[in-house]
Amino acid sequence: MGFLDALLGGGRKLKAPAPDRLFAMTTAQVTLELQLGLTHRSRAGIVFQPLATADFEAILKETNELLHGSASDTGTTVESADDEFGYRWIVLDDPDFEDLVVAINTISSQLQAGGYGDRLLAAVFAFEKDGKGIYFIYNFKRGSYYPFVPVGDQRRDTEHELRLIAQIGAELPIESELERRLPLWKIPL
Amino acid sequence: MATTRTSFGRDYGLQTRMLLTMFLLGLLYVGFVGALFYAGASAVIMVVVIGGLMLSQLFLSDKLALRAMGAHEVSPEEAPGLHAMIERLCIQADLPKPKVAVADTEVPNAFAMGRSKKSAVVCATTGLMRSLEPAELEGVIAHELAHVKNRDVMIMTFASFFASIAAMMAQFAFFFGAGDDDSPAGIVVFLVSILVYAISFLLMLALSRYREFSADRGAALTTGRPSALASALVKVSGAIERAPQRDLRAAGEMNAFFIVPTSVKSGVRTLFSTHPPMEQRIARLQDLETQLQRGA
Repeated sequence: MGFLDALLGGGRKLKAPAPDRLFAMTTAQVTLELQLGLTHRSRAGIVFQPLATADFEAILKETNELLHGSASDTGTTVESADDEFGYRWIVLDDPDFEDLVVAINTISSQLQAGGYGDRLLAAVFAFEKDGKGIYFIYNFKRGSYYPFVPVGDQRRDTEHELRLIAQIGAELPIESELERRLPLWKIPL
Repeated sequence: MATTRTSFGRDYGLQTRMLLTMFLLGLLYVGFVGALFYAGASAVIMVVVIGGLMLSQLFLSDKLALRAMGAHEVSPEEAPGLHAMIERLCIQADLPKPKVAVADTEVPNAFAMGRSKKSAVVCATTGLMRSLEPAELEGVIAHELAHVKNRDVMIMTFASFFASIAAMMAQFAFFFGAGDDDSPAGIVVFLVSILVYAISFLLMLALSRYREFSADRGAALTTGRPSALASALVKVSGAIERAPQRDLRAAGEMNAFFIVPTSVKSGVRTLFSTHPPMEQRIARLQDLETQLQRGA
């Protein structure tokens, strides 16, 4: 946000969603699996603020029909649930990782096309290594990924996250600012 | 001078005291500068002195305000819900995460401080967290984050800086303007600088009110729920106003004999307020909700 925006009270518009860098995950996943031994959990989720308006609900319904329509080909299962913070998760389940990324992109493009790109919080891809959950979070507004390794309640393994960034940074657009690698607790994946 | 940015300034007793303090503080600056001026200091030195005062205010105000409110910073382990809520709002508003503080008081209120996005602190009272629904609390916190995003602390400090400069200029101009014929310019200079200062003070308050509207709008944009913020405003203003009214019941019966009718009184109140009237804020939030319901 520029100086003039700040001077004039700014805050009129949220930052537009970054051009789509979501798909970088498709190739990065291969490296994660083959070189780092991270297996994906066949699950990915997208989380957003649901609006209580007819227009928004119509778009959600349309998106759902779209997802269920393609599910007959891809075998992706779709669930949706609201969390304790009032955000809605659409959780996708598919052993084919590429289908997961495509489905996430379908949802985000639908919302963006309807003018609701601002409402997107994040997309999350779930991995694991030795039974430990490892998540990659995609921030739509910044078009960047960062790893999130929760250990127990309200604690994260920052060392592990930094190591992952060093290992995969060449293939994924990584969030450059440390203070913007914000945690997402209680990920339902 | 307005370095703390409270969302819900309907506590009139406190507000009046704050206002008076701000005004006197500014007057002190002007008086101080005037004294320097008559002692023969140059304009450059005076600008430096005012600038120094403002800078120290900018750098110390967050610590002072936290202490004044009896607030302390809380870790994610101490307040996991609040932290998680702020983290999500920061992603939505595209902000780095501020420090999170909690003040242990029943009065529902929240404020944001800090001269930059990175040094920002957002503080909520325990009363606020207890009395609001999660979506309402989210709206209030988003309002505070909008202040951080709009750099309101910085803007208001600079605005007051220029108010002081303006008053100083008035003194300066009159000294040279009236200096020729050796008239008793002192008193005129004094009066004019007070006048200039008083006007700039009112303008500053207007600016502050405008920025409250901006922050409300910013909050609605981040959460997508303008009505939740509106409902929080209703609850909080009610809670703040109810307490003092009980003490004033006796005086309330004398209302009919007051010289200034209520409507004019509220007009004056508006002029001297750092916050716009609650009804106006709610009406604007209602407009946003209507826009939202019509579809993007």
